[in-house]
Amino acid sequence: MSITVLDAREWQTALDLRTGEKAEPARPIVEIVKDVLRRHPYPGDMDPGSNRWVTDTALDLINGYRPRFVFLTYAAQYFSTRYNAMTKIERTEIIADAFLELERFIDATGFTAVVVGTGDMTPLLGLIDATGVDGLAVSTHWSARYAGLYEPSQDDLKLLNKHPHVERIVPRSEILSLFGGTPEQALRVPEYLMIARTGYAFRTISGAMKTPVMIPSSNFTVPVHTPGHIPQALTDIKNILEESLIEHQVALVIMEGVGLEDFLWPHTPCGNGKEWYYYEPNDAQYLTITTGEHRFLDYPTGYKYFDEVDTAKEYPFSGYFTSIPEGTFASRFPGKSIAVGNKSMFMHMVTGADICVECFARNLYNQGTMAVIHRDDKL
Amino acid sequence: MNCNYCERRCRINPGGTGFCRMYTCQGDTVSERFPHRFSACGTSRIESFPFYHVYPGSRSMAIGTGSCNFQCRYCSNAYIAKEDPEIMQGRMYRMSPDKLVDTARKLNCHNIVFSVNEPTVSIPTLLEVAQAAKSAGIPMGCLTNGFATKESIELLSSIFSFFNVSLKGLSPGFSRQYIGIDSSTPVLRNIRRLAQNRHVEVTTPVIQGANDNEIDAIAEFLAGVDPEIPWHVFRLLPEDEMKDVPYPDISAIDQALQSARKILHYVYFHNFVGSAWVNTLCPACGSVVIERFSLGCGGDKLKQLLCQGNACPRCGREIRIETGKPHETTEEGHA
Repeated sequence: MSITVLDAREWQTALDLRTGEKAEPARPIVEIVKDVLRRHPYPGDMDPGSNRWVTDTALDLINGYRPRFVFLTYAAQYFSTRYNAMTKIERTEIIADAFLELERFIDATGFTAVVVGTGDMTPLLGLIDATGVDGLAVSTHWSARYAGLYEPSQDDLKLLNKHPHVERIVPRSEILSLFGGTPEQALRVPEYLMIARTGYAFRTISGAMKTPVMIPSSNFTVPVHTPGHIPQALTDIKNILEESLIEHQVALVIMEGVGLEDFLWPHTPCGNGKEWYYYEPNDAQYLTITTGEHRFLDYPTGYKYFDEVDTAKEYPFSGYFTSIPEGTFASRFPGKSIAVGNKSMFMHMVTGADICVECFARNLYNQGTMAVIHRDDKL
Repeated sequence: MNCNYCERRCRINPGGTGFCRMYTCQGDTVSERFPHRFSACGTSRIESFPFYHVYPGSRSMAIGTGSCNFQCRYCSNAYIAKEDPEIMQGRMYRMSPDKLVDTARKLNCHNIVFSVNEPTVSIPTLLEVAQAAKSAGIPMGCLTNGFATKESIELLSSIFSFFNVSLKGLSPGFSRQYIGIDSSTPVLRNIRRLAQNRHVEVTTPVIQGANDNEIDAIAEFLAGVDPEIPWHVFRLLPEDEMKDVPYPDISAIDQALQSARKILHYVYFHNFVGSAWVNTLCPACGSVVIERFSLGCGGDKLKQLLCQGNACPRCGREIRIETGKPHETTEEGHA
């Protein structure tokens, strides 16, 4: 049973991750994790101390658990540049601060770092209003390039195909042809996937009024720092981790919102998708890294997520995830592993680490922290 | 002339605006400046607003417009409620009432809930939406601060069949310092009025050192209106002007609610992740009759409904749950 500890500042509760039922197992690892959460309240997504929280929390957890593999995500620069108007100098500084936190972690632990930037950001040039279609356009406000389209009229397709900021509209058959997948996965794929040109994002129902200043750019390649290896694609990273862990303690570090233009360490451009599709900074990108397989189809962009979250689904504290994804690297790694990050509450689903600590912030509202203990048999 | 939509009763000069900046004066009428413009239009679960005793587990379409007639220091939606609505117009959804209701149907939403900001600032548009929703058989509810005038509360009552009124505090000092009004008396009056023929739930955000000393008094007021009114006590999520204040102490607030639980039948304490106080207990036998999960601010959801109809499965005591059809619109017009 995976245990989740929720910390709302000076108040904690432990639950069964799958059912959400109260669970207070008397296990030493649960107490270790609770203490770590108590010592490290999350300052908030946009707080200057957000990335410092990642390093501090990870160092504390390492002290208590002694893992061989660590998965870190630094995301403060992503949230800040997305929503705050910044000068180039300010943006450069906040990215430099993120790398300083990474260096602080490496200096303190001596881990070998494999670092992946999720891609450059670009100024938002405008929104493509898809709310007036006869059919239904579906996206989340975190996505920029893609939106799903259902039951469009001929007029919808004509209008959208002619739209100057729409790059193309891809039918479901073409998506399935690109990614393959099971019949069950195919049901989740939108009838059409709309693709915006660089700098534009779709406006659909369930959008947000917090209009971003910057959005993910056209990141067909992303920077990867892998000493001694030259990965061609995100799917190669898993094997690099396996090889490196034979001799070293390894930290896989995700630098959110950092691409080829701003990556401060030596790096290699690495394929971030497949043909016309590239990953945006989201769970699919993480899963592709951690499983070595393209995982767009697990929860495809533009799918009708609301059709699944309404029901009494399992994993109530894990967003739209309905199960723990299979095939993640850390879940099969025999050594100890942890994950710490400030992106959101999905690391416990996509990393497979024995213990995950992440912020519990939804749409930038800081609720506290969340830890998930998937395994305690390695303590 | 005066705008009589809310108790501010702003004096509006021709072409000018009042406190909320959502109405103007044209000739001898107060009219809406930005009709059919929405800041939000998306799916949500009804528990997330929160409504715990209406259509449990149903899918709602959440809508909102812009601005507010309050000036709460801790506003969670300040980027909408406190922003100049004129500046926001480029970002708003432009949807006719029919299109809005049609979208709700496409999304399989059972109901429409006006949240995000204060409905009193958009009453004419909402009257039109209500007409379209009524034709489609879709009930509507809202979150409101309850500061509408007597005339407007009747209009709101004609639009919405279920309400969650935010009773933020009682004392004039708190009202002035934290929410920018002189008195909460109109809010109390409107809770009494709405409770006569509409489903009402009440929410109170607790700020330690500011209004936690009023917990018992608020509970007594509500019990005097109707002890069956569900009361949501929120742990304040420090935002906006209060972003840097400490998070309120959960255990202390829980203790402070002990008396309230004796006189109100449904007291909930949440707005923080993992809350253990979101289930509905039968007031007679204490059995759990509705289970929920709390994901914090705007994230609650139904786990399971154990009631048999509207009754406790163990002792048969009636549990207040609104499951009926949308009410008939009884009155239309303008304040």
